[in-house]
Amino acid sequence: MFFHIVLERNMQLHPRHFGRDLRDKLVAKLMKDVEGTCSGRHGFVVAITGVEHVGKGLIRDGTGFVTFPVKYQCVVFRPFKGEILEAVVTMVNKMGFFAEAGPVQIFVSNHLIPDDMEFQSGDMPNYTTSDGSVKIQKDSEVRLKIIGTRVDATEIFCIGTIKDDFLGVISDPGATS
Amino acid sequence: MGALVNSIVEDGALGAKGSGMPEPRASIEKDMCTHPGVIGGLCIRCGQKVDDQSGVAFGYIHKDLRLGNDEVARIRKRDFKNLLRQKKLYLVLDLDHTLLNSTRFLDVTPEEEYLRSQTHALQEPLKGSLFRLDNLHMLTKLRPFVRTFLKEASNLFEMYIYTMGERAYAMEMAKLLDPENVHFNSKVIAQGDCTQRHQKGLDVVLGHESAVLILDDTEPVWVKHKDNLILMERYNFFASSCRQFGFNCKSLSELKSDESEADGALATVLEVLKQIHGMFFDQKLGDNLVDRDVRQVLKTVRMEVLKGCKLVFSRVFPTKFQAEKHQLWKMAEQLGALCTAELDPSVTHVVSTDAGTEKSHWAVREKRFLVHPRWIEAANYLWQKQPEENFPVKQTKS
Repeated sequence: MFFHIVLERNMQLHPRHFGRDLRDKLVAKLMKDVEGTCSGRHGFVVAITGVEHVGKGLIRDGTGFVTFPVKYQCVVFRPFKGEILEAVVTMVNKMGFFAEAGPVQIFVSNHLIPDDMEFQSGDMPNYTTSDGSVKIQKDSEVRLKIIGTRVDATEIFCIGTIKDDFLGVISDPGATS
Repeated sequence: MGALVNSIVEDGALGAKGSGMPEPRASIEKDMCTHPGVIGGLCIRCGQKVDDQSGVAFGYIHKDLRLGNDEVARIRKRDFKNLLRQKKLYLVLDLDHTLLNSTRFLDVTPEEEYLRSQTHALQEPLKGSLFRLDNLHMLTKLRPFVRTFLKEASNLFEMYIYTMGERAYAMEMAKLLDPENVHFNSKVIAQGDCTQRHQKGLDVVLGHESAVLILDDTEPVWVKHKDNLILMERYNFFASSCRQFGFNCKSLSELKSDESEADGALATVLEVLKQIHGMFFDQKLGDNLVDRDVRQVLKTVRMEVLKGCKLVFSRVFPTKFQAEKHQLWKMAEQLGALCTAELDPSVTHVVSTDAGTEKSHWAVREKRFLVHPRWIEAANYLWQKQPEENFPVKQTKS
């Protein structure tokens, strides 16, 4: 799920940046440091939308660096357990398939794929129903439910399922609609 | 199928299989989960965080994947049924000296320098067989016939790469052999995936041992699976390879030559694989395919090579060495020959390193074959009895 939230961060700036463009440089550094990172609490920071407030800078003893408390608005993406997401399949193998929803990688093991879908190996490995009507392969879009998440500094990894009602393939990459 | 109920499912619970009863407590399901496998620290079945380090790591499928033994057995069984339906078996392929040969830039000899200008563009791997890998500081030469081999073998086998090289090297080689990622997707096993040091094992291959054939030039790494192994003749293209195995002669690269494409090792072994595959899936045998064992078929096919030959050895084994335990004796027996210590009228071949011994003279007198031990090794690599006249024995001056 996406959120638009306000976060705060203490930014350290080297004295060489002091001058006319100090605020711009501060904002640029903020973007470089924060966009694309993850935290357990907020999830994945997708983009900074604005800077609300830059506080008074505090000079650090002995180094000359200055610390500015910065309040900024940003869009974050955080998957929740139980959340239903749409994702694109990136890889299929006999263990299950991997899918991506934005920056989040989701693994759906064959335990959580409906029993009537069988793995077919070949140059385009896929899971297909016995009558061939539903197929999951690379680039298929699926609707899945998150049942577990793990966040570290650079990525979010989830376990998903498509075994519930209304979950599964949304669109077939090869289908003509 | 009673799918209308079950919509009131609590956070984290798995959907029940249409039982018609709403799941009252999600925690019951979670406690009952046996955590068959863990990926990224999460159970693949219930999504909970799991700290378990038991089971086998399958780092080549995903860097953080571990599977419990029950789960491995379950997947193997399911996959086997799937493969049998497609009439396929499993084939594990070694890289170095089996499918290709690599050399480091700093090991290139002056006589090999000409190769540097003959390398093919990495962007067009299908067109060439010699490649320069700048990031790994290596030259790699693919074995003749390898592309045809892979294409034809893929119709009969699900294939794995299993190398004692590092992962980065393995992935680069896989890209050269399989640029479209059709044969070896999620099936490149490297040194870091082995569960035992210096040993390759089928424990990290998701296939039943009874349906796996291995192609490798090195026997000692497959101690636990000797019966699945088809030993390949080493492909030593570069000078550094020849030196590595103690050969002082000029390498293929220095002689500006190469292994024959049409009847080299890969072409020969492909025919053997086809034969084994055909015998395994033979309809006439009647019994259940699931109960068949490819190791048995391999043994049977091997036994045909020197069938009908009765061998006596002369000046081949060190004195006081128990002949039956010698590698050559065992090799000959595996190839279907009868080996014996004493001469008798039914002996067909005398295998000797010296034409001056009593037994050697007997062979010439009685018009039996007198052959060098390499005749047995050739039969082992080429899966066919070789013409005896190509393996003459010299008289050593005593």
